Amino acid sequence: MSDTTPESAGRAPVSGAMGLSQTIVFSDVSVVRDGRIALDRVSIGFEEARIGIVGLNGSGKSTLLRAMIGLVKPSAGTITVDGRDAVGEARAVRRTTGLLFQNPDDQIVMPIVAEDLAFGLKNHGFSRAEIAVRVAGALDRLGIAGLSERRIHELSGGEKQLVALAGVLALAPKTVLFDEPTAHLDLKNRNRLRDVLHALPEQAIVVSHDLDLLAEFPRVVMIEAGRIVRDGSAEAVLGHYRGANR
Amino acid sequence: MIASLARPGASLLHRTPAARKLAGLALAATVLFFVEDARLLAGAVLVGLVAARSTGATFAAIGRDLKGPALVLAVLGLVDWWLIDGTTALVVVLRLGAIALLAHAVTVTTTTAELTEVMERLFLPAERLGLLDASRAALTVTLAIRFVPLITQEAREIRAAQAARGLEGSILALAVPLLVRIVVRAETLADAIDARGFPPDRSSSGRDQETNERPRSP
Repeated sequence: MSDTTPESAGRAPVSGAMGLSQTIVFSDVSVVRDGRIALDRVSIGFEEARIGIVGLNGSGKSTLLRAMIGLVKPSAGTITVDGRDAVGEARAVRRTTGLLFQNPDDQIVMPIVAEDLAFGLKNHGFSRAEIAVRVAGALDRLGIAGLSERRIHELSGGEKQLVALAGVLALAPKTVLFDEPTAHLDLKNRNRLRDVLHALPEQAIVVSHDLDLLAEFPRVVMIEAGRIVRDGSAEAVLGHYRGANR
Repeated sequence: MIASLARPGASLLHRTPAARKLAGLALAATVLFFVEDARLLAGAVLVGLVAARSTGATFAAIGRDLKGPALVLAVLGLVDWWLIDGTTALVVVLRLGAIALLAHAVTVTTTTAELTEVMERLFLPAERLGLLDASRAALTVTLAIRFVPLITQEAREIRAAQAARGLEGSILALAVPLLVRIVVRAETLADAIDARGFPPDRSSSGRDQETNERPRSP
């Protein structure tokens, strides 16, 4: 599906290698935001368990990510997630595809940790009993069960990021989209998030300026001025990206 | 009050349904506004203290939580005493003090989720009349509770940054960047709320349902 470079040719997808996966397909997608072309005739498919996305500020990385769950409407073209239209069937798509925002304070809605995890589950119609089980399970999975009754504004940046991720994982999505997940974290929390990310059985599509985070990914995509300009192994794409931006 | 929020516990008030507590608080506040006898109001303050203490909070914790309202009450009392008389000042301070203590007891024993559910139910008749969306109206109140501490913190950061530039006295230097931050945050937050499946679907169990909702245009 890639529209650009030779690196992607012959690359075997590792779909399902880590457990869960979906196929996200962009077909000739353009997005115009505030009169500026944010995505320019992008045709690409995402099916690997781990995919990194790199690019300079304003290149269209976050727009690409948000378009996957219908938060941004294409001006032209279509986006499907496992065959479902990302815009017309947005609720169903968001049920299986979670998005972790760059700043957890932009994502956490409720003032108490457990209440915030319950927020998404309640929106998707889960029963009280199931919400309690899933909230406990998601907190436990990330090793933050002790934060359950804590107030959000008293948590550190790293703890907030894990709470935001737990809120996404509580819905048991197949895919988690990460928008610069380590941007607000110190070294210790960055390493912690990296460990969590690498251990996730869910498919992960990660936009990041933290190139070390993406170094072991089977596939990395480089975006520039709204177009996919490189698509291939982490080694090849990150090497090119580093060289091009010295 | 906002900063105190709910605290876990197993007191009678913790176990009382949120709707009953809020109805009781509304009734008590209404009745107290018709009481002019300072002795009765002093009794109400005592009841408020007992209610607040029954939640498991120590007097020191109650004092910390109500420091802000107490300061406002003190100023109000002084103004009333200065402009009217001492008796009126005493009645006003006792009346509002009793309500503040009762409200504190309700606040620390009611989670935001419970509060949101009650508000949604309260707003439903207005929704049926087409006046508002109950879920959105309740979420607005929840967001206010969530973001007051965050915005306060951001205001402090901006004030410190402006002070470093020698602009510590300028209201404009604080207000403009704060407003910009709030607007930018509101836009991202709206995306985050959408991404998390809001508004709730009341039509089914919610699993694997599909809708034809449309996103905002880019």
